[in-house]
Amino acid sequence: MIVEKTSLMEFLRRCQEENLGGIRKVIVPRRSMRDDKVLFFTPMAGPAEIVLDDYRTVDPVRVLFYFPRERVLPGNPVAEKRLIVGVKACDLKALQVLDRALINQDFVDPLYESRRKLTTLISVDCSEIMSTCHCNLVGGKPYAEEGFDLNLTTLDAQYFHISVGSGKGQELLDLMKQTIKINHAGEEDKNTVRERRRSMEKKLSLANTEYRRPDDYRLLKKTDIIKWVQEASACVGCGGCTNVCPTCYCIMLNDETTAATFIKDRSYDTCQVQGYARVAGGGTPRPKMFERFRNRYLCKFLNLPANFNLLGCTGCGRCSEVCAGKIEFREVVKKIMEASQVQETAHV
Amino acid sequence: MSKNPYEVIPATILDIIEESPTIRTIKVKPERALPFKTGQFIELTIPNIGEGPFTPSSADNVSEVMDITIMKAGFVTEYVHKTKVGDRVGLRGPYGTCYPIQSWQGKDVLIMGGGVGLAPTRSLFLSLLNHIDDYRSVTFLMGARTPADMIYKNLVEGWRKLPKVQILRSVDRVPDGESWAEEVCLVTKLLNKISINPKDNPVVVCGPPIMMKFGTFDLLKYGYAPKDIYLSMEKKMYCGIGQCRHCVFGKYYACKDGPVFTYETVKDEENIWE
Repeated sequence: MIVEKTSLMEFLRRCQEENLGGIRKVIVPRRSMRDDKVLFFTPMAGPAEIVLDDYRTVDPVRVLFYFPRERVLPGNPVAEKRLIVGVKACDLKALQVLDRALINQDFVDPLYESRRKLTTLISVDCSEIMSTCHCNLVGGKPYAEEGFDLNLTTLDAQYFHISVGSGKGQELLDLMKQTIKINHAGEEDKNTVRERRRSMEKKLSLANTEYRRPDDYRLLKKTDIIKWVQEASACVGCGGCTNVCPTCYCIMLNDETTAATFIKDRSYDTCQVQGYARVAGGGTPRPKMFERFRNRYLCKFLNLPANFNLLGCTGCGRCSEVCAGKIEFREVVKKIMEASQVQETAHV
Repeated sequence: MSKNPYEVIPATILDIIEESPTIRTIKVKPERALPFKTGQFIELTIPNIGEGPFTPSSADNVSEVMDITIMKAGFVTEYVHKTKVGDRVGLRGPYGTCYPIQSWQGKDVLIMGGGVGLAPTRSLFLSLLNHIDDYRSVTFLMGARTPADMIYKNLVEGWRKLPKVQILRSVDRVPDGESWAEEVCLVTKLLNKISINPKDNPVVVCGPPIMMKFGTFDLLKYGYAPKDIYLSMEKKMYCGIGQCRHCVFGKYYACKDGPVFTYETVKDEENIWE
């Protein structure tokens, strides 16, 4: 299917304003007024520009499903049907991790689950990359192959190609067909999609020529601790990286109980601060900064895969972008892997 | 919508027993029964203060009233020690793995508990006593820093009269003004005082990290197999349900893969004793 971009915008506006299909809210990427390089998710309002032909947003889509702070007891069921438009492949992968972490046989997070159920996701292929983007190094692609309801690929200045990824996506497409003009995609359109995707993959791999995908992440654990001390030297322990990471979901709980009701609020926690997981008596699992720094890499590449069979890094590069110490995530992985290989050779 | 995992069952404190200067047992009655298996833990909410994971110290066949033995060690537990009979608290759970006591039938069971680690092992001990005919013997090694720190003092004499049960107690030291007629040594040294039959018999270790570490190493020297050494790794837990990740070590969550682990399971993970 193909759709004219202006018609799609019209459709989204009508979803927001007229609640087409029962949709109460449409969330879209917009450009920051303070810095036009920064895109962020926000509910659609007024005629402001919606940015679909670009790179990822500064905030991970996680924040729309799993809030930085919210009341979990009594839990407030969410009943708002919504559309999130402009999600990138790296964030869809992150949602797969969160789905396994927050909806599993041991435990279901009802707030996350209800938001997931009531949200329809329209992803868009990346048509630009940021300097920190590196999904290709963690098995990703700059376009989504799964996890979306509908996916858009820019064909030219005028048209998007639409593909359907789920029953929810098909429903939305049917609604679109009743509202705006949707055309069948020709062979030429499909070729354009393939061509555009190939060219983005090429651009991404050119931007990452200095790095390669590690063969065995277990080496991260074997590297001499002194290397981690060196790599962590610029880290100030602010926890910015975990706050913007699309797969981080550690939380802490606050008790706000009143005389009448038990009340609990949760908020994001970060393994980068010393107080993380502090227990009675004052012990913490990783008292030193380099231990906490190392933990984040081990969590992303070893612990989360052990728990959920998916890498905890989707290559979005937000941690490098936000880092107060200007630490480049890819560079750390590269140096630690190199150091472990030198060690291996030395042992032989 | 799925059930809220943070839902709390209101409970009332029926009784408080001061076990030592820093340890007390609270007897709580939840509004509805909370059945658990020995080794599992619950989350106790002190209203407006916070929540913490605790293993009941009562036997697992009683779910209407639950004993919880708690040491004053941090923020929440300080407030536990300020509670009064009649106060309202909250409970949720039970969570985690239990001791596989059914599979221990016909065996010599050894329990080594130190300090507040005696609390979860008391639950285990009482649960074993309920079916004492099923076991060949139950030996309970109890350790504390000083005689004043030794908990469950008024229960021990009764337990010692029971058939198939052996109890040895030790304190690390006897301060001036206190008296002690039993052993003065680290609890792990009590292993020298009993006859040990390590082959295919289970041993449970619960106490401060350093005691668990050296206790485990001693047990290995005595010939216990890593698969038969049960460790209760509960101090790291927080949310109790596998969400917050605070208790994750390597690929395990203490709260849902534990708190009861065999040494065999965890021995290759980093920093398990911290």
